[in-house]
Amino acid sequence: MWWFVPIAALFLGIFAGQHAGIQIPAEMVKYLSIAILAALDSVLGGVRSLLEKSFNSTIMLSGFFANALLAALLAYMGDRLGVDLYYAAVFVFGVRLFDNLSKIRHFLINFIRTRKQRHAADWDGAPTGKTSSVLKEDRS
Amino acid sequence: MKRHRKTLAFSCAMVIMGILLSVQFKAQNTAERELYQQRPENLIAMIKNLTDKRSKLGSEMADLSDQLYDRRNAYEDQTLVGKSLEQELAKLEIANGTRPVHGQGLEVTFLSTSMVQYSDLITLTNELWASGAEAIAISGIRVNSNSYIHYRQANGGLEITVNNQPVTWPLKILATGDSNNLEKGLTLPGGYVDMMAYNKIYPTLRQKDDLELPAIKSPPHFYYLKEYVVEENTSGQPGETANQTAQ
Repeated sequence: MWWFVPIAALFLGIFAGQHAGIQIPAEMVKYLSIAILAALDSVLGGVRSLLEKSFNSTIMLSGFFANALLAALLAYMGDRLGVDLYYAAVFVFGVRLFDNLSKIRHFLINFIRTRKQRHAADWDGAPTGKTSSVLKEDRS
Repeated sequence: MKRHRKTLAFSCAMVIMGILLSVQFKAQNTAERELYQQRPENLIAMIKNLTDKRSKLGSEMADLSDQLYDRRNAYEDQTLVGKSLEQELAKLEIANGTRPVHGQGLEVTFLSTSMVQYSDLITLTNELWASGAEAIAISGIRVNSNSYIHYRQANGGLEITVNNQPVTWPLKILATGDSNNLEKGLTLPGGYVDMMAYNKIYPTLRQKDDLELPAIKSPPHFYYLKEYVVEENTSGQPGETANQTAQ
Protein backbone atom coordinates (compact mmCIF):
# COMPACT_ATOMS: atom_id res chain seq x y z
CA MET A 1 0.00 0.00 0.00
CA TRP A 2 2.96 2.33 -0.30
CA TRP A 3 1.41 4.08 -3.33
CA PHE A 4 -1.01 5.81 -1.03
CA VAL A 5 1.83 8.08 0.00
CA PRO A 6 2.48 9.56 -3.49
CA ILE A 7 -1.28 10.05 -4.03
CA ALA A 8 -1.53 11.80 -0.68
CA ALA A 9 1.51 13.84 -1.74
CA LEU A 10 -0.32 14.79 -4.95
CA PHE A 11 -3.31 16.07 -2.98
CA LEU A 12 -0.99 17.82 -0.58
CA GLY A 13 0.66 19.51 -3.54
CA ILE A 14 -2.69 20.56 -5.01
CA PHE A 15 -3.75 21.90 -1.64
CA ALA A 16 -0.48 23.75 -1.20
CA GLY A 17 -0.72 25.20 -4.70
CA GLN A 18 -4.27 26.39 -4.07
CA HIS A 19 -3.45 28.09 -0.82
CA ALA A 20 0.11 29.24 -1.31
CA GLY A 21 -1.08 32.13 -3.48
CA ILE A 22 1.44 31.44 -6.20
CA GLN A 23 0.62 33.60 -9.19
CA ILE A 24 2.20 33.23 -12.57
CA PRO A 25 1.88 35.75 -15.35
CA ALA A 26 -0.58 34.97 -18.16
CA GLU A 27 2.22 34.63 -20.74
CA MET A 28 3.76 31.83 -18.69
CA VAL A 29 0.60 29.70 -18.68
CA LYS A 30 1.60 28.14 -21.99
CA TYR A 31 5.07 27.11 -20.79
CA LEU A 32 3.78 25.82 -17.48
CA SER A 33 1.29 23.64 -19.33
CA ILE A 34 4.04 22.04 -21.39
CA ALA A 35 6.13 21.56 -18.23
CA ILE A 36 3.17 19.81 -16.63
CA LEU A 37 2.84 17.57 -19.66
CA ALA A 38 6.51 16.63 -19.41
CA ALA A 39 6.23 16.04 -15.69
CA LEU A 40 3.18 13.85 -16.18
CA ASP A 41 5.05 11.87 -18.80
CA SER A 42 7.94 11.36 -16.39
CA VAL A 43 5.63 10.18 -13.63
CA LEU A 44 3.86 7.76 -15.92
CA GLY A 45 7.25 6.57 -17.19
CA GLY A 46 8.25 5.98 -13.60
CA VAL A 47 5.09 3.97 -12.99
CA ARG A 48 5.80 1.93 -16.11
CA SER A 49 9.37 1.24 -15.15
CA LEU A 50 8.12 0.29 -11.71
CA LEU A 51 5.79 -2.24 -13.20
CA GLU A 52 8.54 -3.47 -15.48
CA LYS A 53 10.76 -3.71 -12.41
CA SER A 54 13.40 -1.44 -13.92
CA PHE A 55 12.66 1.56 -11.73
CA ASN A 56 15.44 3.90 -10.74
CA SER A 57 14.48 6.83 -8.57
CA THR A 58 17.39 9.01 -9.72
CA ILE A 59 16.49 8.55 -13.35
CA MET A 60 12.84 9.29 -12.67
CA LEU A 61 13.46 12.41 -10.59
CA SER A 62 16.12 13.76 -12.94
CA GLY A 63 13.82 13.06 -15.88
CA PHE A 64 10.97 14.72 -14.08
CA PHE A 65 12.78 18.00 -13.49
CA ALA A 66 14.92 18.03 -16.62
CA ASN A 67 12.05 17.20 -18.94
CA ALA A 68 9.74 19.75 -17.38
CA LEU A 69 12.33 22.51 -17.41
CA LEU A 70 13.63 21.71 -20.87
CA ALA A 71 10.17 21.45 -22.34
CA ALA A 72 9.20 24.85 -20.95
CA LEU A 73 12.53 26.33 -21.99
CA LEU A 74 12.29 24.90 -25.48
CA ALA A 75 8.78 26.19 -25.94
CA TYR A 76 9.94 29.60 -24.74
CA MET A 77 12.96 29.56 -27.04
CA GLY A 78 10.75 28.47 -29.90
CA ASP A 79 8.47 31.43 -29.28
CA ARG A 80 11.44 33.78 -29.22
CA LEU A 81 12.89 32.28 -32.40
CA GLY A 82 9.60 32.12 -34.20
CA VAL A 83 9.49 28.32 -34.37
CA ASP A 84 6.53 26.65 -32.77
CA LEU A 85 8.52 24.17 -30.68
CA TYR A 86 5.58 24.15 -28.32
CA TYR A 87 3.63 21.92 -30.65
CA ALA A 88 6.63 19.65 -31.13
CA ALA A 89 6.92 19.22 -27.37
CA VAL A 90 3.18 18.66 -27.03
CA PHE A 91 3.33 16.08 -29.73
CA VAL A 92 6.36 14.23 -28.38
CA PHE A 93 5.21 14.22 -24.79
CA GLY A 94 1.66 13.41 -25.78
CA VAL A 95 2.79 10.41 -27.79
CA ARG A 96 5.06 9.23 -25.00
CA LEU A 97 2.35 9.74 -22.45
CA PHE A 98 -0.11 7.62 -24.31
CA ASP A 99 2.60 5.07 -25.01
CA ASN A 100 3.37 4.84 -21.31
CA LEU A 101 -0.31 4.65 -20.49
CA SER A 102 -0.89 1.84 -22.94
CA LYS A 103 2.08 -0.08 -21.60
CA ILE A 104 0.82 0.34 -18.05
CA ARG A 105 -2.60 -0.82 -19.17
CA HIS A 106 -1.16 -3.87 -20.92
CA PHE A 107 0.86 -4.72 -17.90
CA LEU A 108 -2.06 -4.37 -15.52
CA ILE A 109 -4.32 -6.49 -17.75
CA ASN A 110 -1.64 -9.16 -17.96
CA PHE A 111 -1.14 -8.99 -14.24
CA ILE A 112 -4.83 -9.39 -13.48
CA ARG A 113 -5.10 -12.24 -15.98
CA THR A 114 -2.20 -14.16 -14.48
CA ARG A 115 -3.55 -13.58 -10.99
CA LYS A 116 -6.94 -14.95 -12.03
CA GLN A 117 -5.31 -17.95 -13.62
CA ARG A 118 -3.26 -18.57 -10.53
CA HIS A 119 -6.32 -18.11 -8.40
CA ALA A 120 -8.18 -20.66 -10.49
CA ALA A 121 -5.18 -23.02 -10.26
CA ASP A 122 -5.15 -22.53 -6.49
CA TRP A 123 -8.75 -23.49 -6.24
CA ASP A 124 -8.20 -26.50 -8.48
CA GLY A 125 -5.34 -27.69 -6.37
CA ALA A 126 -4.70 -27.45 -2.68
CA PRO A 127 -3.97 -23.88 -1.58
CA THR A 128 -0.44 -23.50 -0.36
CA GLY A 129 1.24 -20.79 1.60
CA LYS A 130 3.79 -20.35 -1.17
CA THR A 131 1.26 -19.14 -3.76
CA SER A 132 -0.18 -16.58 -1.46
CA SER A 133 3.26 -15.25 -0.67
CA VAL A 134 3.98 -14.93 -4.39
CA LEU A 135 0.73 -13.04 -4.83
CA LYS A 136 1.64 -10.75 -2.00
CA GLU A 137 5.00 -10.02 -3.60
CA ASP A 138 3.38 -9.27 -6.93
CA ARG A 139 0.94 -6.96 -5.37
CA SER A 140 3.65 -4.94 -3.70
CA MET B 1 15.42 0.91 1.65
CA LYS B 2 14.69 0.64 -2.04
CA ARG B 3 10.98 0.88 -1.41
CA HIS B 4 11.53 3.98 0.70
CA ARG B 5 13.50 5.56 -2.05
CA LYS B 6 10.86 4.98 -4.67
CA THR B 7 8.13 6.23 -2.30
CA LEU B 8 10.18 9.31 -1.62
CA ALA B 9 10.91 9.87 -5.29
CA PHE B 10 7.27 9.47 -6.30
CA SER B 11 6.02 11.61 -3.42
CA CYS B 12 8.46 14.33 -4.32
CA ALA B 13 7.39 14.26 -7.96
CA MET B 14 3.73 14.14 -6.99
CA VAL B 15 3.93 17.12 -4.62
CA ILE B 16 5.51 19.19 -7.35
CA MET B 17 2.99 17.85 -9.85
CA GLY B 18 0.15 18.88 -7.54
CA ILE B 19 1.52 22.35 -7.06
CA LEU B 20 2.10 22.76 -10.78
CA LEU B 21 -1.39 21.47 -11.58
CA SER B 22 -3.21 23.73 -9.18
CA VAL B 23 -1.15 26.77 -10.14
CA GLN B 24 -1.74 26.07 -13.78
CA PHE B 25 -5.45 25.51 -13.15
CA LYS B 26 -5.76 28.84 -11.44
CA ALA B 27 -3.67 30.63 -14.04
CA GLN B 28 -5.66 29.09 -16.88
CA ASN B 29 -8.92 30.09 -15.26
CA THR B 30 -7.70 33.63 -14.96
CA ALA B 31 -6.30 33.65 -18.46
CA GLU B 32 -9.56 32.43 -19.96
CA ARG B 33 -11.25 35.44 -18.52
CA GLU B 34 -8.76 37.73 -20.23
CA LEU B 35 -10.10 39.17 -23.45
CA TYR B 36 -7.03 38.54 -25.56
CA GLN B 37 -7.25 34.83 -24.79
CA GLN B 38 -10.82 34.60 -26.05
CA ARG B 39 -11.78 33.15 -29.39
CA PRO B 40 -12.73 35.59 -32.13
CA GLU B 41 -16.29 34.15 -32.32
CA ASN B 42 -16.77 34.69 -28.61
CA LEU B 43 -15.38 38.16 -28.88
CA ILE B 44 -17.71 38.96 -31.77
CA ALA B 45 -20.66 37.64 -29.77
CA MET B 46 -19.56 39.66 -26.78
CA ILE B 47 -19.26 42.80 -28.88
CA LYS B 48 -22.70 42.18 -30.33
CA ASN B 49 -24.20 41.64 -26.90
CA LEU B 50 -22.56 44.71 -25.53
CA THR B 51 -23.66 46.81 -28.51
CA ASP B 52 -27.23 45.60 -28.06
CA LYS B 53 -27.06 46.33 -24.39
CA ARG B 54 -25.63 49.73 -25.07
CA SER B 55 -28.32 50.65 -27.55
CA LYS B 56 -30.97 49.43 -25.11
CA LEU B 57 -29.44 51.48 -22.35
CA GLY B 58 -29.21 54.44 -24.71
CA SER B 59 -32.91 54.25 -25.55
CA GLU B 60 -33.71 53.82 -21.87
CA MET B 61 -31.64 56.86 -21.12
CA ALA B 62 -33.48 58.84 -23.78
CA ASP B 63 -36.82 57.74 -22.32
CA LEU B 64 -35.74 58.66 -18.85
CA SER B 65 -34.45 62.05 -19.91
CA ASP B 66 -37.77 62.66 -21.70
CA GLN B 67 -39.57 61.77 -18.51
CA LEU B 68 -37.28 64.02 -16.57
CA TYR B 69 -37.97 66.86 -19.00
CA ASP B 70 -41.72 66.31 -18.71
CA ARG B 71 -41.57 66.16 -14.96
CA ARG B 72 -39.49 69.28 -14.81
CA ASN B 73 -41.91 71.08 -17.09
CA ALA B 74 -44.83 69.91 -15.01
CA TYR B 75 -43.05 71.04 -11.89
CA GLU B 76 -42.34 74.43 -13.42
CA ASP B 77 -45.96 74.73 -14.50
CA GLN B 78 -47.06 73.83 -11.01
CA THR B 79 -44.71 76.36 -9.51
CA LEU B 80 -45.99 78.98 -11.95
CA VAL B 81 -49.57 78.14 -11.09
CA GLY B 82 -48.71 78.21 -7.41
CA LYS B 83 -46.98 81.55 -7.77
CA SER B 84 -49.83 83.12 -9.69
CA LEU B 85 -52.30 81.74 -7.17
CA GLU B 86 -50.25 83.21 -4.38
CA GLN B 87 -50.15 86.57 -6.12
CA GLU B 88 -53.88 86.40 -6.66
CA LEU B 89 -54.40 85.53 -3.02
CA ALA B 90 -52.18 88.41 -1.94
CA LYS B 91 -54.17 90.82 -4.11
CA LEU B 92 -57.46 89.55 -2.77
CA GLU B 93 -56.23 89.69 0.80
CA ILE B 94 -54.97 93.21 0.32
CA ALA B 95 -58.30 94.23 -1.21
CA ASN B 96 -60.17 92.42 1.54
CA GLY B 97 -58.02 93.96 4.24
CA THR B 98 -56.93 90.61 5.65
CA ARG B 99 -53.25 91.30 4.95
CA PRO B 100 -51.19 94.13 6.47
CA VAL B 101 -50.02 96.66 3.89
CA HIS B 102 -47.63 99.55 3.76
CA GLY B 103 -46.88 102.36 1.40
CA GLN B 104 -46.83 106.12 1.07
CA GLY B 105 -49.92 108.02 2.13
CA LEU B 106 -51.52 110.58 4.38
CA GLU B 107 -51.86 110.70 8.12
CA VAL B 108 -54.78 112.70 9.49
CA THR B 109 -54.66 113.45 13.22
CA PHE B 110 -57.45 114.78 15.40
CA LEU B 111 -56.46 115.98 18.85
CA SER B 112 -58.45 114.70 21.78
CA THR B 113 -59.74 118.19 22.43
CA SER B 114 -61.50 118.38 19.09
CA MET B 115 -65.17 117.52 19.10
CA VAL B 116 -65.21 115.00 16.31
CA GLN B 117 -68.42 113.16 15.63
CA TYR B 118 -68.67 109.77 14.03
CA SER B 119 -70.30 111.26 10.95
CA ASP B 120 -67.15 113.40 10.48
CA LEU B 121 -65.15 110.21 10.32
CA ILE B 122 -67.54 108.70 7.79
CA THR B 123 -67.20 111.78 5.64
CA LEU B 124 -63.45 111.72 6.02
CA THR B 125 -63.34 108.08 4.95
CA ASN B 126 -65.54 108.84 1.98
CA GLU B 127 -63.35 111.75 0.98
CA LEU B 128 -60.23 109.64 1.30
CA TRP B 129 -61.67 106.83 -0.81
CA ALA B 130 -62.76 109.40 -3.33
CA SER B 131 -59.27 110.90 -3.40
CA GLY B 132 -57.79 107.59 -4.39
CA ALA B 133 -56.95 105.96 -1.06
CA GLU B 134 -56.12 102.30 -1.45
CA ALA B 135 -56.37 101.28 2.19
CA ILE B 136 -57.55 103.12 5.27
CA ALA B 137 -57.08 102.43 8.97
CA ILE B 138 -58.74 104.43 11.71
CA SER B 139 -56.92 104.32 15.03
CA GLY B 140 -55.23 101.10 14.08
CA ILE B 141 -58.45 99.47 12.86
CA ARG B 142 -58.42 98.59 9.19
CA VAL B 143 -61.43 99.76 7.23
CA ASN B 144 -62.78 97.38 4.61
CA SER B 145 -66.01 96.89 2.73
CA ASN B 146 -67.83 95.62 5.83
CA SER B 147 -66.57 98.26 8.21
CA TYR B 148 -69.00 100.48 10.02
CA ILE B 149 -68.36 103.64 11.98
CA HIS B 150 -70.73 104.41 14.81
CA TYR B 151 -70.81 105.57 18.43
CA ARG B 152 -71.81 104.17 21.76
CA GLN B 153 -72.20 105.35 25.31
CA ALA B 154 -69.30 104.82 27.64
CA ASN B 155 -67.93 106.47 30.79
CA GLY B 156 -70.80 108.94 30.84
CA GLY B 157 -70.11 110.15 27.35
CA LEU B 158 -70.12 109.02 23.75
CA GLU B 159 -67.26 107.24 22.07
CA ILE B 160 -66.73 106.62 18.41
CA THR B 161 -66.40 103.00 17.35
CA VAL B 162 -65.07 101.42 14.22
CA ASN B 163 -66.23 97.86 13.69
CA ASN B 164 -67.59 98.07 17.21
CA GLN B 165 -64.14 98.84 18.61
CA PRO B 166 -63.56 102.15 20.35
CA VAL B 167 -61.03 104.50 18.81
CA THR B 168 -58.18 105.97 20.81
CA TRP B 169 -57.12 109.56 21.08
CA PRO B 170 -55.38 111.40 19.55
CA LEU B 171 -57.30 109.91 16.66
CA LYS B 172 -55.07 108.96 13.76
CA ILE B 173 -56.44 108.04 10.37
CA LEU B 174 -53.95 106.48 7.99
CA ALA B 175 -54.63 106.21 4.28
CA THR B 176 -52.27 104.79 1.71
CA GLY B 177 -52.26 106.15 -1.80
CA ASP B 178 -50.78 109.13 -3.64
CA SER B 179 -50.17 111.36 -0.63
CA ASN B 180 -50.42 114.59 -2.65
CA ASN B 181 -53.74 113.62 -4.16
CA LEU B 182 -55.06 112.56 -0.79
CA GLU B 183 -54.07 115.84 0.82
CA LYS B 184 -55.48 117.88 -2.06
CA GLY B 185 -58.70 115.89 -1.90
CA LEU B 186 -59.14 117.06 1.67
CA THR B 187 -57.85 120.62 1.40
CA LEU B 188 -59.59 121.74 -1.73
CA PRO B 189 -61.69 124.92 -1.17
CA GLY B 190 -65.01 124.06 0.42
CA GLY B 191 -63.71 120.59 1.06
CA TYR B 192 -63.39 118.51 4.17
CA VAL B 193 -60.83 120.66 5.99
CA ASP B 194 -62.84 123.83 5.33
CA MET B 195 -65.98 122.07 6.55
CA MET B 196 -64.20 121.00 9.73
CA ALA B 197 -62.82 124.47 10.27
CA TYR B 198 -66.38 125.65 10.17
CA ASN B 199 -66.99 123.37 13.17
CA LYS B 200 -63.78 124.59 14.84
CA ILE B 201 -62.03 121.33 14.27
CA TYR B 202 -58.54 121.49 12.82
CA PRO B 203 -57.12 118.14 11.81
CA THR B 204 -53.42 117.86 11.11
CA LEU B 205 -52.52 116.42 7.72
CA ARG B 206 -49.10 114.87 7.28
CA GLN B 207 -47.75 113.21 4.14
CA LYS B 208 -45.76 110.12 4.96
CA ASP B 209 -43.39 108.05 2.86
CA ASP B 210 -44.21 104.77 4.52
CA LEU B 211 -47.33 104.03 6.46
CA GLU B 212 -48.05 100.64 7.96
CA LEU B 213 -51.66 99.51 8.04
CA PRO B 214 -52.65 96.42 10.00
CA ALA B 215 -54.91 93.65 8.76
CA ILE B 216 -58.50 93.48 9.93
CA LYS B 217 -58.84 91.29 12.95
CA SER B 218 -61.85 89.20 11.96
CA PRO B 219 -62.28 88.49 8.28
CA PRO B 220 -65.89 88.51 7.05
CA HIS B 221 -67.86 85.28 6.90
CA PHE B 222 -70.53 84.73 4.31
CA TYR B 223 -73.35 82.42 5.34
CA TYR B 224 -76.09 83.35 2.88
CA LEU B 225 -73.96 84.60 0.06
CA LYS B 226 -73.62 82.36 -2.98
CA GLU B 227 -71.81 82.99 -6.20
CA TYR B 228 -74.07 83.93 -9.03
CA VAL B 229 -73.22 81.82 -12.07
CA VAL B 230 -74.45 83.07 -15.41
CA GLU B 231 -76.11 80.19 -17.24
CA GLU B 232 -74.34 79.49 -20.49
CA ASN B 233 -76.51 79.29 -23.55
CA THR B 234 -74.73 76.60 -25.58
CA SER B 235 -77.19 76.31 -28.47
CA GLY B 236 -77.71 80.04 -28.81
CA GLN B 237 -81.49 79.69 -28.84
CA PRO B 238 -83.13 81.35 -25.89
CA GLY B 239 -86.28 79.26 -26.23
CA GLU B 240 -84.50 76.03 -25.43
CA THR B 241 -83.00 77.36 -22.25
CA ALA B 242 -86.40 78.54 -21.16
CA ASN B 243 -87.78 75.06 -21.83
CA GLN B 244 -85.02 73.45 -19.89
CA THR B 245 -85.59 75.76 -16.98
CA ALA B 246 -89.29 74.94 -17.11
CA GLN B 247 -88.56 71.24 -17.02
